[in-house]
This record gives sequence, C-alpha cells and structure tokens, in this order.
Amino acid sequence: MTDYGHDLQFGVFVTPTAQPVQHAVELAVAADRAGLDLVTFQDHPYQPRFHDTWTLLSYAASRTQRVHVSGNVLNLPLRQPAVLARAAASLDLLSGGRFELGIGAGGFWDAIEAMGGRRLSPGQSVQALEEAITIFREIWNPAERGGVRVDGEFYQVRGAKRGPAPAHDIPIWLGAYKPRMLRLIGRKADGWLPSLGYLPGGATELGPLNEVIDEAAVAAGRSPSAVRRLLNVGGQFSAQSTGFLNGPPEQWAEDLAGLTLEYGVSTFILATDDAATLELYAAEVAPATRALVAAAR
Amino acid sequence: MEFGTSITPANGGDPVALARRSEELGFDLVTFQDHPYQPRFHDTWTLLAWVAGRTERIRLAGNVLNLPLREPAVLARSAASLDLLSGGRLELALGAGGFWDAIEAMGGPRREPREAVEATEEAIEIIRGMLDAGNQTPFRYRGRHYQVPNAQRGPLPAHNIPLWLGALGPRMLRLIGRKADGWLPSLGRVGVDGLRAGNKLIDEAAEAAGRDPSDIRRLVNVTPDVPLEILQTLEADTLILYTDDVSEMERFAAEVMPVLRATNRRPTRPSWVRAKRRDGIDYDGVPASADAVEPGDIDFPRLRSTYLRGGNPGIVLRPRTTGDVVEALAFARRHRNVPLGIRSAGHGVSGRSTNDGGIVLSVARLDHVEIVGDRRIRVGPGARWADIARALAPHGWALTSGDYGGVGVGGLTTAGGIGWLARKHGLTLDHLRSAEVVLASGQVVRVDAAHSPELFWAIRGAGANFGVVTDFEFDVDEVGDVGFAQLAVDGSDPAGVLERFGAAVEAAPRDLTAELIMSRPRPGAYATILAVVDSDDPETIVSQLEPVASIAPLLDQRVVITPYAGVMANAGDADHDGQGEPAARSGLIEHLTPEFSAAAEELLRSGAVHFFQLRSVGGAVADVDPMATAYANRAANFSVTALGGSQHRLDALWDRLLQPHFTGSYLNFDTDRRPERLRDAWPPEHLARLRDLKRRYDPDGLFRDNFYLGDS
Repeated sequence: MTDYGHDLQFGVFVTPTAQPVQHAVELAVAADRAGLDLVTFQDHPYQPRFHDTWTLLSYAASRTQRVHVSGNVLNLPLRQPAVLARAAASLDLLSGGRFELGIGAGGFWDAIEAMGGRRLSPGQSVQALEEAITIFREIWNPAERGGVRVDGEFYQVRGAKRGPAPAHDIPIWLGAYKPRMLRLIGRKADGWLPSLGYLPGGATELGPLNEVIDEAAVAAGRSPSAVRRLLNVGGQFSAQSTGFLNGPPEQWAEDLAGLTLEYGVSTFILATDDAATLELYAAEVAPATRALVAAAR
Repeated sequence: MEFGTSITPANGGDPVALARRSEELGFDLVTFQDHPYQPRFHDTWTLLAWVAGRTERIRLAGNVLNLPLREPAVLARSAASLDLLSGGRLELALGAGGFWDAIEAMGGPRREPREAVEATEEAIEIIRGMLDAGNQTPFRYRGRHYQVPNAQRGPLPAHNIPLWLGALGPRMLRLIGRKADGWLPSLGRVGVDGLRAGNKLIDEAAEAAGRDPSDIRRLVNVTPDVPLEILQTLEADTLILYTDDVSEMERFAAEVMPVLRATNRRPTRPSWVRAKRRDGIDYDGVPASADAVEPGDIDFPRLRSTYLRGGNPGIVLRPRTTGDVVEALAFARRHRNVPLGIRSAGHGVSGRSTNDGGIVLSVARLDHVEIVGDRRIRVGPGARWADIARALAPHGWALTSGDYGGVGVGGLTTAGGIGWLARKHGLTLDHLRSAEVVLASGQVVRVDAAHSPELFWAIRGAGANFGVVTDFEFDVDEVGDVGFAQLAVDGSDPAGVLERFGAAVEAAPRDLTAELIMSRPRPGAYATILAVVDSDDPETIVSQLEPVASIAPLLDQRVVITPYAGVMANAGDADHDGQGEPAARSGLIEHLTPEFSAAAEELLRSGAVHFFQLRSVGGAVADVDPMATAYANRAANFSVTALGGSQHRLDALWDRLLQPHFTGSYLNFDTDRRPERLRDAWPPEHLARLRDLKRRYDPDGLFRDNFYLGDS
C-alpha cells in the first residue's frame, strides 16, 4: 500500500505502423487535441512494419502543441547514446520541453544482432544501460566544466562537449521487470515504465516490484518518490462491467484510482490505435480518476 | 536545375523559420550540416524530422550527414520513415567524417582516409539493401566496418531516396562515380576548376563501372557572394545557397533562380530504372497524363500485385480524369501484343487486374464521391466502398456493395455487387442509373436506360468486356443503424451446418443478409456466420438472428448496432502484396440441398480448400427480371466461393462434386480461365446477346484479359 503522491498523467501507447503512413501521427494529434499528457511509441528498429521511432517522435512532436512524447521504450542497443543524448536535447528544445526519455536495455537480441547490433547478456545490458544514463545526464549538463568522460565497458565517451541543456529536466524512464534493472531504476532513474499485460499475476505484482525500487532508492540516498511509476494498460470500453478495465468509463476510473492509491501508479498509458477510445479516455476517464484520487488522498 | 539553402542548425537560432522561408521563396531543397559533436547545433536528424512536420513541399537533406556517428542500417530505416512521413521529400547526403578527434570523443570510430572511404562504400551498400523493400529476401551484409547479419528490408520509402556524397579526395570521387547518386561539395573548398576536375573524375569512374554519368546529380554549396556569371558556368544541377540571412535568400530567389531555372532538362528516369523495362512496351510513347509507373520505379512494388495475385506488369498507368483514360486506352491499343488489366482497387479474387509484362490501367485516382440529388450519387470507379459508406452515413443512406470496404467501385459494380444488404436492396448494379464509359475505340459515351440501352445492359454484369467506366450514377437506399453479428458455431458437421444455414436464410425476412465461412472440418473446428440485419431495434435484430444462430451449437457471438459505414470500415490502407496465382472457384445455387451439402463436405474434407464462403443473394436480387441486366442468375439464393492452394486440384474436385449443383457463377471470384466458365456465368440467350455487343463495341478485342467474350 503505497501512494507516492505524484500528480496523475494520462497517455496513450500507439503502434508506430509505417502503413498507413500517418496513422500514428494522426493519433498523436488526436491525443494532443483531447488534452492527454503523453503519447508514446514502442521502438523496434529491426521491424520494417514500423516507423523508425526516433524519427516518428520528432515528426509527431512537430505536429502537436502540448502533448509530451516518449519512446515506450527506446531501444538502446541500436542507438548510439551520445548522439541520442544530443538528439533528445534538440527535440526537447524544439518542442518547448515536451520530450521524455523512455528507454530500455533491449530484449529481442536475435533481431538486434540481425541489424548489426551487439548481443549482450542480461547482466551486460543492465550495465550498458547504466553507462548510457551517465552519458545522457553528463551531456545534458553544460553547467559542469570539462568534457564528458565515460570509460565504460560498453560505451566510451572521451571528452565530448557538454550540452545543449534541454528545455526541461528530461526524465529517464526505464522499462524493466527483473530485480537488477529495478535496482538500477531505484538508484538512477526517474521513472519505471512496465506493461500491466506483462505481469502474469496482474496488478498485485506491482507491490513487490515497487519495494525493490524503493529499497534501492533509499540505499542510494534517494527518496522512493523520486521515481515516477508509469504503467501501460489495455482494456475495452463497454456498457457492462466484465472485469478489470473492461466496462464503462466510471469503472475504469475506479480501477485506475485503485492502482494509484494501492500501488503508486501515477501515469497511465493506454494501448490503443483507436481515436474514439483515446478521446473517451481523455474526456471521461482521466478527470474522473483525478477526482477519485484527490478525494482519497 | 534546382536550388536549395544550407542553414546552420544552431539551437540558438531559428533554423525552422529559415526552412519555412526557403519553402515560401520557392527553393526546392533545404539542408543542414551535421556535426553531432557540436552542442551549439541541433541534432540534424531530429531537426530534419521536425522541419518535415512544419513544411509542405520543400525537400530535406543533411549537408552532409555524419556517417561515423550514424549506424547505416538504422539510418536507412529512419530515412524510409521520414520519406514516408514527409510525402517523399527526404534526400540522403552523407559524409565520411573528417573531425576524427570530435567523432572519437563522442564514442565513434577513428578512421584513416582509406578506411573512411571503405566504410562509406559499405554504408551505401547497406542503405541501398535495407531500402530495397520490393525484394522479399532478408538483407545480409558483412563488411570490414559494418555487419548486418540478417535484417528485414524496408519499409519501402515514398520515393527513390538518392544517396549523395560530400567528398574531396580522388578515392571518394571514384566511389561516387561507381556507386553514388550525387556529389555535394562546397564551391569555396573545391573552386570552379576543382569542380570541373572532380566531375571529370566522377564521369570516368562511372563509365568504367558501366554507369551513365548523367545519372549522378551534381550539387554544390555556394556562398551569397558568388556572382551570377560564375554560377552560370558551374557544372552543377543543384545550387545550394549557404546562408542564414533571409535577405540573401530573397535576393537569390528573385535574381538568380529565374535566370538559371530555364536550363538543362534531364531524362526523366535514370538508366538503372530504364534497365528494368520490359520488351514490347513503348515507354517513350507513354502519355504524360498517365503518370506511369515502370518496373524500376520506387512505387512499382506498391502497384504490381493485387490483393491475392502476384504480378509483374511492364507498366502501370494512373489516369486521373476521363480524358486521361482515353489517352491511356489509346496507348493500350498500340500494345495488342501484351496483356491489359483494368484495376479499380485491385481486390478482385480473380486477379485479372494485374499481369506479367503487360499494361495495368489503374483508375484508383478517379475516386470522386458526389451527392447530386435526393438519394442520388455519382462516384468514380476508384472510390472504395468504405469511403462511399462514410460519405452517405450523415444522410442516413447506404449503397449495398460487397462485404469489404477496401474494394473499388469499378470492378464490383460492373460484375454485380453481392453485399450486406443484398436480400433487402438487391445488387449494387441494380442501383446503377447511368454511367460514363470509355469504349475500346476511345469514344466516351454516357449510357442509361434511354441512351445506348444495350450497352447499359451489358455493363451491368459483363462490364469487364466493354470499356472503362469513369463515372457511375447510383440511386441509394435509406438505411439507418443496422445490427451486425459475428457468430461462431460448431463446424464439426459441415453438411448439417450448410443445410440448416440455407434453410434458415431462405426463410428469413429480407432484412437479414448472412454469410457463412467454413474451412476444413477437424475436432474443434468452427464455422463463422457474419450477418447484417437492416434494423436498429435490438429485439428485431435478435429475433431475426436466432434461426441462423441455431444451426449448430453457438460457441461465440458478438452483436453490435452500428451505422452501415461501421460494417464497411473493415479495411486498412495498406498496399497489396499478393503473391503467386490464387486458385478460386465460384458458383451460384438456389438451395443448399442435402446433396449439395454432402458434396461440399467432401470437398472440405479433401483439404484442397482453405476458405469456403457462402453469401446470400435471393430476396430483392430475385425480384429483377433475369433479362433486365447482363447479370443473369437471379433465381439463386446463395453465392459459393472457395479458395485453394492448387488450381488443378481444386478444379478436379469442384467440377466433380459441386459444379453439377450450380445454376450460375460469379466471375469476379473465379480464377478458372477455361472457356466453359462463360457458359456458367451466362445462359445462352445472355451469352449470344453479349457476343453480338462485343463484336459491335470491341471488335478487335482490346478488353481481352478478363473472361473474354470474343472469338466465338
């Protein structure tokens, strides 16, 4: 039973399909107009049915006004961290502070290797991600003197110039499920971004996993509330309630408010490729959830 | 000659506004240098994507992208995405790198000059290979600097993205001649004489490699202070003005561009595109109005095939107006030696709208949908039924069509149109009131009951033989929300399911039109029933569905009340990628008798059929006199279609088991080209009348590739 006290945010997780070409962009625009906080795209650079996610994020940000954009989550093994840091700062500046860095250690190693990426073991991928996080933060910090030096096992940066400073403090959110990654989140990340559908036991699994993050944060001298808890969710709107996130908007609001109050989830990212669903989510579920949480806090 | 700007991507400046201004001033291209190690600059790739989202027409390029810090395989995927998102406006200009201390500081490699050239050559191969998405095989590459063990190619860009290189040294210039699409130096560094010498070296290397030097674009960055007289002497196809000063851009656009624009026209297509041309087609004689796509063009993979059938046509013509169709058919008349396919949206199961080495005339661009009166519309042959349903919905109207929203108007209407409202409102062609037809002679006629009534008769059921219809005028029906049901029933007793389905549908009110889909029976097999009830009343819908839902144990159900447009919104916008030759047969039958049902079960158990579908006709379809249109088989209550893996095997079984039960056939769903199919489709009186009309309207057999009525 943990509520970290964060303000609630609502976003969508859109399939970055390359055909129809503008599908994902149109949904990003719809999310923006509907008043959602966040639009996200998965990143599988080995998948030609999808747009390149970095390109899509930049283009979608240019076509929207207020909504924030993030990978869900970017594929580190196929993206050069120092260049990615500079690109992230650029996109944040161009968009007036609307970029968030959702990033993962990679998971489909056959496909990554097929594209020319380096195959890493689980432990190695966590270390590589930690090195990358250091590079990101150093590049984004021009207030520090001297060039960026990271002599990592997987990534080396030898005196790269710092900057530019992004328009806002870009949070780093990690997709993760295993203890070593969760501890890394507690030590160094700004958010945890799992998918509810990947938790075999459902929402109740969030509790123990949160504890791993919280303990690692405390051990590193950080408050657990320094880590935002995000969650990819899926469901169906229907007139009758038939289960968790399957029912009318008011039931959705109760289900999501429960996740906030019991498990500390504060950003809900709905997987959908349907504009009407997205609009209903923004218009009815988001305000009702906020109201329920505010009343209970 | 083309013109571009090169803008500093400074994050303290406003490169986006300068790019937009470039576009307003009429520049063709906007470029940004790429130095990922330079924090005063935006990341160039991110900026290119952002500018793509804030501009409409101007093309975009790095000047030049820093290859050592951008992995070529991911860069290729990124380039395809940005080209698609921007509507075909990305060009790739690459550099081998030069500031090695800064590159290495960022975590990139340090390369000697020879290594840099070598790596660039590898990157070109990788990018080209990844973008060759018309090639279905995986892309594999093992170089000294880059490896791509087994990547999937694609996505297919919107246009053929050229690869231009910034280069100075002779080794790189020779690489450009051998492999690149363009050369992009800066005049300030090479000088006028250096430009000429570099071009000569490129030309020599191109010729040595068997390439046409004119396939290689020559671009050059120039500063505002270069006088017009010098610019006029440059051996260049594109001048890129290097400035962040708007007034210099304006001066250049006003004073330099008009003078230089009216020069050198290049051949429209490069030699490597021309190399893929097929014998028997006069590519130089293609009318400009046809907006043709050749086998070597980037759009060819998008257009070569239909929904089910793989194709390899020699040319695809894409007219936009009736006049364009006249010109396209004139071109086709000059090519009697190759096949001719006419295509609306390419969904015909028969696959007649593609071919090998011939002409495809696509009317997809004649896609207007206009409401011209009370329950009266005009549509183009390339309009898709989902779009028509959506356009009619606000009026409370609908026009029955097929069962799939992605199908085009032209092919479906001229053959029949068996859809979700058939039992209540008849065939699509029963709603046709007039049509504009381009005949084999090139003459354009407007046909209706009073004008060319014989031709009007013929195109309603045998349209593929008589012309290209460029405009259809329809009466539509008043249709509110409908019930749409998707039911799964136990499919282990196919004969029983068929027999009971047939009886239930024949007994049902006309508000109900249903489909049954079956496959090979095995334990756990189910049959799918899809049904529309033309009512928005839940009780009516349920009561009308109950008999068809009871033909076998119900396993799953989903019933919604939706606008008719919601039923038709079942198609995506993806390009067709059919492969091989589909094997399909179709028939029309009055009753699903026990004998027919047993024979169908035997066919299904054989494993020769992977898709077996029955659609309802009857009802309003049967109200029309069989002689009123060329669609003859009005008495049938069901259309039967099967898809298999082998035409020969399917034919043998179909001929023996099912053919004796049929009273007709629906040719759009048939791939059997044997001449007796004509006799199945049309009774003797219809067939004789059609052949007379064929001799009158198409005596030379221009329309010969889709169940040809000539030669009898």
